[in-house]
Amino acid sequence: MSARTVQDAPETVDILLVEVGEEVYGVDASQVLRIDRAGPQSFALAALGALRHGRRTLVYWTDSGEAQLKVDAVRGVSAVPLACLRRMPPAATRSPLAIGLSLAEERPVVLIDLPRTF
Amino acid sequence: METSPLQRALKAAPDRSSVGQARPEQEFFCFKVGELRLGVPSETVLEVFRAGRLTPLPRTPAFVMGVTGHRGQVLPVLDLLRFLGKGEARVGERTRLCVGASGPYVAAVVADSVLGLRRILTSDILPPPLGGDAAAEHLLGVVQPGTRGEGIALLNFAKLLQTARQRAVMR
Repeated sequence: MSARTVQDAPETVDILLVEVGEEVYGVDASQVLRIDRAGPQSFALAALGALRHGRRTLVYWTDSGEAQLKVDAVRGVSAVPLACLRRMPPAATRSPLAIGLSLAEERPVVLIDLPRTF
Repeated sequence: METSPLQRALKAAPDRSSVGQARPEQEFFCFKVGELRLGVPSETVLEVFRAGRLTPLPRTPAFVMGVTGHRGQVLPVLDLLRFLGKGEARVGERTRLCVGASGPYVAAVVADSVLGLRRILTSDILPPPLGGDAAAEHLLGVVQPGTRGEGIALLNFAKLLQTARQRAVMR
């Protein structure tokens, strides 16, 4: 990473924390258009684990149009300092879905790239 | 002047002990997971700490139990039982994570209990069983029961970590 890139990077990133089953995931809050009740258009992503009820949905934009990902609960937006963000360990997974981790919480939170879920 | 028997003996005495060369030994970090008693070369183990709740990763092989944060670093946590096809590890209050390194790749493996450091005579290490299962390819050798307590399978930890890395990213 160049010095220019470091200077341009924000000091904090807004991460929207959501619950899927027993797990907490983070998504880039700027990618979320709105939070809504789950409807017929909403889909569940098995890779994130089993939903408890999936009554909420994150609405976001993809190349194919609007997508709605089911989640159980939305915890809220957390301004995560850059120092608490980590890239995915290179050997852990090659899945493009998980793009990194946040160490700001009690345990690491997997950060999901929403457009790649659809 | 005639030399005394002691002086003759001293002349013939070696400069240094040859016992160490004749019976070289290796140090292994030994632990138990499931029914397996495993040992890895101690120089490949960085540290051991108590396991907390792990964060599972989506779309990873079953032997990658998840990740944990430790000293500001994110470590993949591997289940050796699943990796070696010997069952499935469970994380409880007494579970320990042993952090190992192979080059730039650092990962933790789950241990039910730590047996400690053991210095094992190289002559006591038997080659891996011929025609063994897939786990045999990751063995440096085995120490048979009775030589020093119970039998221990000695893992080639560096190779195992590399293989785990390849399997994880090839999916």
